[in-house]
Amino acid sequence: MNQARNNVKVSGAGSRTMMFSHGFGCDQHMWGLVAKEFEADFRVVLFDHVGAGRSDLNAYDPEKYSSLGGYADDVVEIGRALQLSNAVFVGHSVSAMIGALASLKAPDMFSELVMVGPSPRYVDDGDYVGGFSHGQVDELLEFLAANHLGWSAAMAPAIMGNADRPELGETLADSFCATDPEIARQFARVTFFSDNRADLSRIEARTLVLQCSEDIIAPTCVGEYVHQQIPNSEYRLLNATGHCPNLSAPAEVTAAIRAFV
Amino acid sequence: MSEAAPTEDLQDLYENAPCGYLSLSPAGRIVKLNTTLAVWLDTSAHALVGQSVHALLSFGGRIAFETHLAPTLRLQGTVNELALDLVGANGGKVPVIVNAAEKRGPDDAHLFTRMTIFKAVDRRAYERELVEARDRAQATANAEHDISMLREQFIAVLGHDLRNPLAALAAGLSMLRSKETFSDRGQIIAKEMGASISRATALIENVLDFARGRLGEGLTLVRDADEPLAPVLEQVVNEIRAVVPDRQIITRFALDRPVNCDRGRMAQLASNLISNAVTHGAAGMPIDVEAECCDGQLTLSVTNGGVAIPLDAQARLFQPFFRGAVRRSQQGLGLGLFIVNEIAKAHGGEMKVSSTDEATRFTFTMPLSGSAQRDPEASEPFAAG
Repeated sequence: MNQARNNVKVSGAGSRTMMFSHGFGCDQHMWGLVAKEFEADFRVVLFDHVGAGRSDLNAYDPEKYSSLGGYADDVVEIGRALQLSNAVFVGHSVSAMIGALASLKAPDMFSELVMVGPSPRYVDDGDYVGGFSHGQVDELLEFLAANHLGWSAAMAPAIMGNADRPELGETLADSFCATDPEIARQFARVTFFSDNRADLSRIEARTLVLQCSEDIIAPTCVGEYVHQQIPNSEYRLLNATGHCPNLSAPAEVTAAIRAFV
Repeated sequence: MSEAAPTEDLQDLYENAPCGYLSLSPAGRIVKLNTTLAVWLDTSAHALVGQSVHALLSFGGRIAFETHLAPTLRLQGTVNELALDLVGANGGKVPVIVNAAEKRGPDDAHLFTRMTIFKAVDRRAYERELVEARDRAQATANAEHDISMLREQFIAVLGHDLRNPLAALAAGLSMLRSKETFSDRGQIIAKEMGASISRATALIENVLDFARGRLGEGLTLVRDADEPLAPVLEQVVNEIRAVVPDRQIITRFALDRPVNCDRGRMAQLASNLISNAVTHGAAGMPIDVEAECCDGQLTLSVTNGGVAIPLDAQARLFQPFFRGAVRRSQQGLGLGLFIVNEIAKAHGGEMKVSSTDEATRFTFTMPLSGSAQRDPEASEPFAAG
């Protein structure tokens, strides 16, 4: 049932499973270029969070998804349905924390966590630097509200021929990063006002923190903080810039994950 | 008169096109922009080249750019009709619509991201109005829903509270009639009073059933296949005969099999149908009440003579608050047939009506087999309207 709710796609083969989870603003396509590199020796699981991509929008329950815990519950349900144990969870952006929460809810499910651009708290708090002020998050929410139709239009972009990107030929039949604007706004609120700092020290899974250079959403100091707080963690600063190395530098991200697992 | 075709100046077209042009490096730095865009932003192209695209965007726009636009562009190679707010040198916001495409070299290397930018001040204002209108409509609908729930709760509470004084009246009247000696006139008045109390009680039961259905509690059935149904129907008929002794009510019951139904609800259904026949049927003609088990189903029909029900009214008979053309004094709330229909549906059955100038017949049918499989505890949804 949650297979359809979260548009779960299983591919590849291997004794271990690697689950990829997308962040705010996009969908499972975000992981396409990296995930296919693991299909030869892993069972690969991709899915869309409710409200994104081809998830079941009717399954959106504002109460359930009023905290990252609701999204983590979905990850646990998918994991249980696929009978995951000692699997690898790869989460981008806010999904890094969703995976951490899922690993706390179901301790045997994931033995390794890969966090790409994680942030346990986006808003500055005393000595803690998250990179955002409270007012900036409010501005983001206003932006999302005011650009409602802009995001609606982005949900169904015209798909153009793309002969110069043959590797994307197949997936071009879909629209990418489709996002329901109303849910996107609520997801943004939940994401950017979240505070999961207290959960980090409880994480038992081996964890890899992949930090991008020049990431305005998860600055370097936040990645370092995450690494310091998680007991059994490794930290790696990528050459890739921006917030989406899984798209801008898939080879570097793939190599880092492979070296870790 | 002919004019010489002027030659278009491509350089001037780029710089002074009626739209903005912006080229970004793969890392998101401004490589080139045209004069039109620079003018919109109260600055010069020279001042912006080399800066991050973030310099042109509001904070919200930057986050949207990084989390949504950049990945979508990378996946699709092109993105159309994105709404963004650019920020000018003086801090003023310029709402724009952007089309973007990646420019790739022969080796597939990403060279630039090219953007065509259109001012969208009016469009954005219009979009905002649309969203606000939708939000207002939603708020109004929510408020009306809340009010209607309150009203229905009020009806439910009122109906419930009215039952107690009515029960006291009925008990008092019954005591008077059994213990006291009335004059002939007193007898008649007491009987009329009894009929009025029964009618008021039935109306309140209908209102309560309706309110319960609307409040989502559902029509609860308590089914029992072992008890016979015929005595229940006989009792309903006798009660009505007692109120209108002048009317001829002919019964014919052939219930040779157990019927798994809610006896109380069946009595309510029969009572509503027969009362309707008494009210609306021709006074001089008999009312036929027939029930039989045949072809795997229970059929219960009530037939009266009199004027036919017009076709358009037939279609609406089972809707709540529908009242046909009757004398004002005889008007009820128009819930009787609605509730009859709900009881029929809850039993997996249905109501039908046929009406001619010879006879008007209401027929209830329900399956005998299907009904036995149902959970007797099950509460069936009682969706109105």
